[in-house]
Amino acid sequence: MLPPVKPQTLASLARVLRSKNAGPTLLTIDIFFEDAAGYAQASDSPALSVPAVAALYQVDPAQVQRHLLPGLLAIKYALPRRLCAGTPGDGDVYGAQQHAPMLGILLNGAP
Amino acid sequence: MSASERLLQNHRAQDGPLRILAASGQLGYGIPEVALQRGLARRPHLIGCDMGSIDPGPYYLGSGQMAAPAAMVYRDLELVLSAALAQGIPLIIGSAGTAGARPQLEATVALVRAIAQAKGLRFRLTTVASDLAPELVLQALRAGQLQPIGPMANPTEADILQCSHIVGQCGTETLARALREPTDVLIAGRTCDTAVFAALPEMLGYPTALCQHMAKIIECTSLCCNPSARDAMLAELDQDGFTLESMNPLAHATPASVAAHVLYEQANPFEVDEPTGTLLLQQAQYQALDAHRTRVSGAQWRPRAQATLKIEGAARLGERWVLLAGVADPTLLASLDEILQVVEARVRALLPGHWSMHPHIYGQGAVRALPQAQHSQHEAGLVIEFVAATVDLARTAAGVFKQNLLHHGFAGRLCSAGNLAFAFTPSELDAGTAYRFVLYHVMQAAPLDEIFRVETCVIDNAGQAGAGP
Repeated sequence: MLPPVKPQTLASLARVLRSKNAGPTLLTIDIFFEDAAGYAQASDSPALSVPAVAALYQVDPAQVQRHLLPGLLAIKYALPRRLCAGTPGDGDVYGAQQHAPMLGILLNGAP
Repeated sequence: MSASERLLQNHRAQDGPLRILAASGQLGYGIPEVALQRGLARRPHLIGCDMGSIDPGPYYLGSGQMAAPAAMVYRDLELVLSAALAQGIPLIIGSAGTAGARPQLEATVALVRAIAQAKGLRFRLTTVASDLAPELVLQALRAGQLQPIGPMANPTEADILQCSHIVGQCGTETLARALREPTDVLIAGRTCDTAVFAALPEMLGYPTALCQHMAKIIECTSLCCNPSARDAMLAELDQDGFTLESMNPLAHATPASVAAHVLYEQANPFEVDEPTGTLLLQQAQYQALDAHRTRVSGAQWRPRAQATLKIEGAARLGERWVLLAGVADPTLLASLDEILQVVEARVRALLPGHWSMHPHIYGQGAVRALPQAQHSQHEAGLVIEFVAATVDLARTAAGVFKQNLLHHGFAGRLCSAGNLAFAFTPSELDAGTAYRFVLYHVMQAAPLDEIFRVETCVIDNAGQAGAGP
């Protein structure tokens, strides 16, 4: 029997995990990985699929773009902001802290 | 002869590399001086500075106020103005005064004039105004020529007429028109960030793809380095590529850091839309020259038949007051959402009229949606916005809400002396006028030459050094 795969958080594999507005209506999230193994594990993980990320941010999956950048060991997402930046009720005008929900995503080893 | 004429007449792409010094990506927040001086020692052909962005939200475009403190804007302008004039090279400043609207362009020019007077400077100043008349936007709306960028509602005609400022982002096509005027210093209203650094290189005949790619990377100065920094960045551009070098010896432009920066604030990592075309990055290559410098090549360019125009508009929403308070009672924390709603209903009964309330409960999901299990049960911070048509109404709503929340008798209450902790009083603060973005759209078939007005003048204080107040 194989030993149980220890779940790893996305934060533990990432060198950079950041979010920022791409204009006031869109949010972009960039994840850069420490190494090719981490990138491979993450890019194959259902937890980082477009539907999963759309669900995490409570947005329509059809409006989420994902770009895989193996040369950079990076994954990039673009998604709509809940509110246009700076509209009353918006909690993050620059979108710079919207990476937080990604940090604890569990990636479960081999797919 | 002006600096722009000298460069345009005496330098051709075939002559060799062009050195572009990006002095600031946020002029007005303190240009690091040592790195700037190091960059000047490399004899750049031009100095570029970006001064603004739409990032700080609708307030600055709406109000026409500068985000950066005027004293620091003065200091930074003085540094780059003195440097460019001493070396006889063009200085290009884009997105004047944060949002690039007319009051911000005028405030920036006024500071430049004050510096010129204090230092006895003489130079040719060219300005580009980037404000759009509302009628022009209304025509575009009626003609179906406005496309939202991202999830942005199309405005009504009333929305457009309510905008206090509407600006368009001028691109290389407009800066080139301005730079054909004899110019030592060019100050433009709202400007596409990249155009500040790409316009002159393109005019000199360097390949557009390289000019745009270079500009995209250096417009944030040394942010593209590892570790990232705010120091001046030098690009040496030739016909085959460009070399990036931070003027901070501890900030290294590595292939990984530079390639990563190209993703920054960008929805699509391979295709970057600019006014005059699309920058294609699938074939881009990043090679280390040494531990500090990276050589970039391979970008391609798909030109557009007619330059597009991105427009931005903000309208007044009302006056905003903000209540600041802390909560530490666990029973109150466990049902804070509901308690705020109950108190709001009571205050609405006391205070009729149109006012809105927007609670931010720090510790319980103010920054992003948080599962209930992660809501803080120990302490939370309340920041509650009240927005109304008049200052009096916003202030009254904030004050009455505060007192009613302070003494609200919720179920299971032990803290019958008061529900809120104030760090100071008054705990309700005037946050000024609130604005909202109405326009973040592409406008098709825009008459760019009509929209972007270029003016030029001579600022002459020679022989008057120290004559100012």
